[in-house]
Amino acid sequence: MNSTTISPVIRLSGVSKDFGSTRALSGVDLTVERGEVVVLLGLSGSGKSTLLRHLDGLELPTRGDVEVLGRSLPKLKAHELRRVRARVAMIFQQFELVPSLTVLENVLTGALARLKGPRLGLWAYPKQLKLAALTHLDRVGMLEKAYERADQLSGGQQQRVAIARALMQSPEILLADEPVASLDPESSAQVMRLIREIAADDGLTVVCSLHQVDLALGWGDRIVGLRHGEVVLDTPAMGLSKSQVMEIYGRVATSTAELSAIESELRDAEFAAQATDGIR
Amino acid sequence: MTALDVAGPSAGSAEDVAARAPRRAFPAERACAVVVLVAMLIFSVWSLSMLDFSWGNIQSSWNIAVKVFSRMGPISLPGPEDLFSLIGITFGIVVLGTLAASLISIPVALLAAANTTPAPWLRPVGRAIGVITRAVPDVVLALAFSLTFALGSPLPGIFALGIHSIGMISKLFADAIENSDDGPRLAIRAAGGSRAQEFWSGVFPQVLPSWIATALHRFDINLRGSAILGYAGVGGLGYAMKVAFAEFPTGYGRGLGIACVIFVMCVVLEIVSSTIRRNLLGVQPLGRGLGDRIVRAATKNRPAPAQRVAPRGEVDVHRMLRRPWTRDRVRDTSWTATGLLVVVAAWFLTDIDFSQVQWQFVPRTIESFWPPDLGSYSFADFAQAMLVTIQVAFAAALLSLVFSLVFGSLAARNVAPSGGVRNTFRVILVIFRGVPELVLAIFLIMVTGLGNQAGVVALAFGGIGLLGKLIADSFEEVPNGPERALTAAGASRAQRYLAATWPQGLPSLIGNSLYLVDTNIRSATILGIVGGSGIGFYLTNASTVLTLHGQVTTLVLMVIVTVLAVEGVAAWMRRVFR
Repeated sequence: MNSTTISPVIRLSGVSKDFGSTRALSGVDLTVERGEVVVLLGLSGSGKSTLLRHLDGLELPTRGDVEVLGRSLPKLKAHELRRVRARVAMIFQQFELVPSLTVLENVLTGALARLKGPRLGLWAYPKQLKLAALTHLDRVGMLEKAYERADQLSGGQQQRVAIARALMQSPEILLADEPVASLDPESSAQVMRLIREIAADDGLTVVCSLHQVDLALGWGDRIVGLRHGEVVLDTPAMGLSKSQVMEIYGRVATSTAELSAIESELRDAEFAAQATDGIR
Repeated sequence: MTALDVAGPSAGSAEDVAARAPRRAFPAERACAVVVLVAMLIFSVWSLSMLDFSWGNIQSSWNIAVKVFSRMGPISLPGPEDLFSLIGITFGIVVLGTLAASLISIPVALLAAANTTPAPWLRPVGRAIGVITRAVPDVVLALAFSLTFALGSPLPGIFALGIHSIGMISKLFADAIENSDDGPRLAIRAAGGSRAQEFWSGVFPQVLPSWIATALHRFDINLRGSAILGYAGVGGLGYAMKVAFAEFPTGYGRGLGIACVIFVMCVVLEIVSSTIRRNLLGVQPLGRGLGDRIVRAATKNRPAPAQRVAPRGEVDVHRMLRRPWTRDRVRDTSWTATGLLVVVAAWFLTDIDFSQVQWQFVPRTIESFWPPDLGSYSFADFAQAMLVTIQVAFAAALLSLVFSLVFGSLAARNVAPSGGVRNTFRVILVIFRGVPELVLAIFLIMVTGLGNQAGVVALAFGGIGLLGKLIADSFEEVPNGPERALTAAGASRAQRYLAATWPQGLPSLIGNSLYLVDTNIRSATILGIVGGSGIGFYLTNASTVLTLHGQVTTLVLMVIVTVLAVEGVAAWMRRVFR
């Protein structure tokens, strides 16, 4: 099976998802090429998270097809789905580390798909995996915290550990669900820069959901806007004019009230960007 | 009168308002609940009168007790060697039984928790295992198991505790699993982990502290109850006490001495387990025993200890492979090692000899419990016995309710006329709770033959401590705005209590009273086994003879149905009176 060389790596065709009577996604078509860094932009409730969860098979579509790394996820058996998930890493808004475990063991849980059976305790993992986990921790700058409990770390530190856990999978695709929504501006900038660096160095395909336009601009290669579960925007992220940016706001916002709220947020963000000299 | 004058110009307006006022809505379900409550109250009063709870009767019981105490010899202890061996056996039985139950509880809780159950239909199965194991008293299990073992063997006790404790541990553990954060599990699933990996890496580390805390709490409860197991022929302090109490009057001093040893052992080990629960696991001990309370009082205003320090010095990947021996790691490792040592010690102390097990009896013993039958009795006999047990439970609950309403109200800060009164009644409640069921059971044993009245007194006594505290706490927790409003309107203290405090505290009062009835039914069954009355009498008789085991099944089913019915009514009441 030579699916790894097939391009594109993600292909959604006509994906709809209903939760009871509410429609979370409606007729989404999306194609992502290998190595692309895509931002999913939308307000909360626009379907970004649901879409991301479809890319890891955590949700299956009500209608339509989700193809990831050449496999059609709705058709897979549970163990085949796990094999795809092993190649797709995910990081979360709330980091989702096990609070009572050490940082190192949390990173090692990223390798569970490669191991047989359940593991509990550091001794249960082979030495070369521990070495690999420490290397990833070093890469995200968290090596000296390896033996601290995860809940003793700050939010930004926890997200960096979560990134190390994602790296432990040696993933081909990295999914990030609002990775900095719970962080302060400085940690946000660090984490966003880290993801971008890792994506470039390892040639990862990244799909990252964000709700702040200012973070999205100039960070990704491409911006995909969502509103009410529909794709309303699909544009390269580089070299946008001011009017184009305003149009993006107009597309993802659902009402004029929201639009004006976003505009004021943009002004604040510009202010902050001047202060911290931007993300990049 | 002034209000009327303002309200309208003519005298007819008051009637007019009365005519226009909406009728008070009284939903049918609430009406039903009130009827059921009143019926239960009447039943309790009737039970109390049926159990011949006359003053004369109490006096004659008291006279017998005084006579017994005056004729017995001085309190004495067995020789040190015997004593330590007995302590070791009791300790070992409780450790191993609780450990077995804790381990079995993991898969049971896994089935019962909504977020980990492999299939929705398995969830009721897991819950049912919990309910059934909790409903069958450990003494009954021990009696039934004792047939397969030599008399005085520890194994029936270990098996009995191991099965009975599953109920509580698996329930609390399942609740902890359901309350755990779903995120880490999701992260492991997203990384391609299997269901087992999701549980052991994502859920179990989160609930491990609560699992250990529950097991330790259950250990305390089992230790308190271990004396009763002696009556089922399980070796250790309880059995020695039973043998001593069988010799009147010469053995009574020795029996009381052993009872004191059990009491001291309970308090000491409860302090140890509370300390572990608080310091190591950060779980505040909430038990009602003396040890729990001492630890709670001693650590009242101290926050849970802060965690760990970072390893310092040069860091590189290879050096970091070795985990540094930080204070926390040393502490965790030494506690784990101590725990393992205790288990190994328990194994040797109980001196388990599997050759004692008459394996050829095991299948026959298990088989003998099915099908349920009535033996030479009629169903009416059993129903009558069950009724007596229920009467004891309700009568005791009524006595507890009456006394704890007074004590509990006066122990509530917002009801008591002064801080002094509040503190006095708090202390009284503490004293009531401090006397463990064990001492009450011994009181019962001393005056054996008094049967039901003694059982009611014993249960009511413990009930006042429990219910009184719950009432005091729930009254203190009611929002105090309405009370302030009534004070501002010039209401008296008593008016404020009845109009503001009481209505707000009523729902939890009803819930707590029904909870007391629920626990009383279980306790009344056990006291019946010791005191030879109610359904306990038939259980004792039937469980010691193989051919009568069908009756045990019938009786146990009756207890389970009763307990479930009370639990169901309680759940319904809580919903209606929310």
